[in-house]
Amino acid sequence: MDFPENLPSDIGRLEQIVSHFFPKALHIVLNSRIPSLQSRGRSRERLSGLNVRKSDKWFNLVMGDRPAALEKLHSWHRNILDSMIIDIILVHPISTDDLDVDDDHHGDSTVRSAETVIERWVVQYENPLIMSPQSSESATGYQKVYKKSIILLRSLYAQTRLLPAYRVSRQLSSSLASSGYDLIYKVSSFSDIFSGPVTETMKEFRFAPVKVPPGRLCASVTYRSDLSDFNLGAHITLPPRIITDYVGSPATDPMRFFPSPGKSIEATSFIGRAGRPPLTGSSAERPHSWTSGFHRPPAQYPTPNQSFSPAHSHQFSPGLHDFHWSRTDAFGDNHQLSPPFSPSGSPSTPRYISGGNSPRINVRPGTAPVTIPSSATFNRYVSSNFSEPGRNPLPPFSPKSARRSPSSQDSLPGIALYRSSRSGESPSGLMNQYPAQKLSKDSKYDSGRFSGVLSSSDSPRFGFSRSPSRLSSQDDLDDPDCSCPFDFDDVDESGLQYSQSLDRRKTSSSISQSLPLGRRSSQDAAVGVLVHMLKTAPPLRQDSSTYMASMSGVQREGSVSGTESEFSMARSTSDALEELRNYKQLKDLLLSKSKSGSGATRVH
Amino acid sequence: MNCEVCQLKELEVESFEIREVLRCILHTIVFHRALGLIRPKDIDLELFEITYVQCGEIEVEKKIDEKIEQFINWIEKHPNKKSQICLSFYEVKSKQPSWFTNKIERLYWEQWYINLNVLQPAKPPVGKSHHSKLVMDPGEASEERSSRRTLLEQSLQEVLFQIIKFVNEKKDHVPPINDGVIYCPFEITIPSSSDSAFGMDMFKRILHSGHPSMLG
Repeated sequence: MDFPENLPSDIGRLEQIVSHFFPKALHIVLNSRIPSLQSRGRSRERLSGLNVRKSDKWFNLVMGDRPAALEKLHSWHRNILDSMIIDIILVHPISTDDLDVDDDHHGDSTVRSAETVIERWVVQYENPLIMSPQSSESATGYQKVYKKSIILLRSLYAQTRLLPAYRVSRQLSSSLASSGYDLIYKVSSFSDIFSGPVTETMKEFRFAPVKVPPGRLCASVTYRSDLSDFNLGAHITLPPRIITDYVGSPATDPMRFFPSPGKSIEATSFIGRAGRPPLTGSSAERPHSWTSGFHRPPAQYPTPNQSFSPAHSHQFSPGLHDFHWSRTDAFGDNHQLSPPFSPSGSPSTPRYISGGNSPRINVRPGTAPVTIPSSATFNRYVSSNFSEPGRNPLPPFSPKSARRSPSSQDSLPGIALYRSSRSGESPSGLMNQYPAQKLSKDSKYDSGRFSGVLSSSDSPRFGFSRSPSRLSSQDDLDDPDCSCPFDFDDVDESGLQYSQSLDRRKTSSSISQSLPLGRRSSQDAAVGVLVHMLKTAPPLRQDSSTYMASMSGVQREGSVSGTESEFSMARSTSDALEELRNYKQLKDLLLSKSKSGSGATRVH
Repeated sequence: MNCEVCQLKELEVESFEIREVLRCILHTIVFHRALGLIRPKDIDLELFEITYVQCGEIEVEKKIDEKIEQFINWIEKHPNKKSQICLSFYEVKSKQPSWFTNKIERLYWEQWYINLNVLQPAKPPVGKSHHSKLVMDPGEASEERSSRRTLLEQSLQEVLFQIIKFVNEKKDHVPPINDGVIYCPFEITIPSSSDSAFGMDMFKRILHSGHPSMLG
């Protein structure tokens, strides 16, 4: 058991348990009754054992920092034999009509304040027995005593939440305007006896005492069970209740629409939690916050001049949102707002619906919000791509493309670059021309989606920013008319895959000359090569004359290829031999096919 | 060590109220048995003007929510039935392995029985003829519902007071607090699909506890 402090004697520990019990009980009671004394800055992260103060660890109940007022009270209550009586007093207005006729303001009806004790908590260490040497019992007893005092404080904590004064405290703390009501406290060692009529309306609850040798710790509460006499509900102005998951949660019915701002809304549709089962779809007509792009309001309602982002579905009103968080700050984290304190529900329209207070929230119909990197990150990415020419962190382009007009002023200047290269102009020349224009466009639109950079090499380089719209940008860039620079390395490799049966040098050179950009370019190049191959291949149906002609043509091709192979041999003998081998294979294949097709025709 | 048993007052709830009522009761009990260093969390019920306290441990919350979901699924298959949920606290005792017993023994020292009578909402009569007396006035239905809700709220408060009273009166049987342990280990038993399975659970618990009081 983690005892906060180590003391040489068990009697000292028992004394410490008692002495710390009083301020802890006081803290629990006042924290739940007096809003001004509630602990601030409580967060779940603070319960790490390292950030919790030693004084807060007592009885394993972390309450947060003790307010200064409580510290003073603790310092005042030094003698553990003194009782601690905590009176929770309700300050409420009364009309002078109710006062005695001898009042000076006779006949003049004014509102005055009166104080009524609605709760009295009594904590005391009572009937200490004569000190007797019970060392053996106390030696092992302080752990049990500590455990039982922990349980006692747990039940005291839970009890404070169940009594009627807790509701009053919550009402007053959440009240927007001064209502003339207030909760104050008084801590003393002795108390006035309640009058007869008062005791009739009050109940008492006694907690089971904890034996702390030589005496015992006792706690009790006397409270008013009925506070309706004070008419709190009629005088306290409560803010509209924020139902955070009513609109924004996917668990609720998505098929709801916001009516026009001018249309009145029945409050019952928003106070369903107080006394109704879960609402059905027909009970309210509000658009869901995250379905704005897919569910248009019905025809009878004009399209509201508002838009909202699904990312901020819970934040309809900044003011109300702040209010929500202030409440959680006061009462603890993840604090769910309670139903309306008036059980029948307030008929007031929720403020975030009314036109005057309706916030402007941006919507992008039909699309999810797109994260657009800032210009700083854009520039950083641009520079990184420029410095690493060989780097291509992105997958190859998809075959689909979205064709855009060169004049379309969108945030995709790279498409214009790609498209203009397809028009037949020299890509390198175009690349050289475009960077300035593209970068200026980027700065203009600040899309941040592309970072098209020219490398110092002949092969232009292109890189994508890693954004959610990356796929769309890839699709856009697959447009053959896009002339933005991109990474050639992948294109070269993919283009060669389509030309295994051809002269690889020719293929690569053809690709590099005709279509320098994109996989689409390499595919077109491969098609062109194949067409060329088919044109130069010997015909399937051959007679002797044509055969000789084709043979001569083949020979010529072969000689050409031989020349070229000789030429290539100058560069790489293995490459040339491989080309020749491939050509022979293709030739044999074609001839075998023609042989099977012609039948009697004999082919070499 | 004695096993203290507490039978809580029966509550009449509708199916949509089960979750809130059970969360409130189960968390209140566990809060009083979470004797390690905790930061309590106040939770307002949405259907009632009641605030209960959680111990703030996510594992506890998850465990309780899982069991409540299982119970709700069971209720859907067995409507209009009185049901009982048992929350048991136990100590884990290591034991010498033998042929018939497991190595780990659970010693139950406290059991709470939550009694619920789940009411199904009255459905309108299906048929060609509609008798006027069978069709309730919507106003009367809402009044009846609100009065039933008020009664349930009072009953739930009484149950919470009952828990606090029981926790206060009986403290000696609570095992000592171990270092690093936030809450006393517990299990929640709900009625299963078959009575035999429920009986098997009880039989298993008896075997684990091995305490004569469990057999009584």
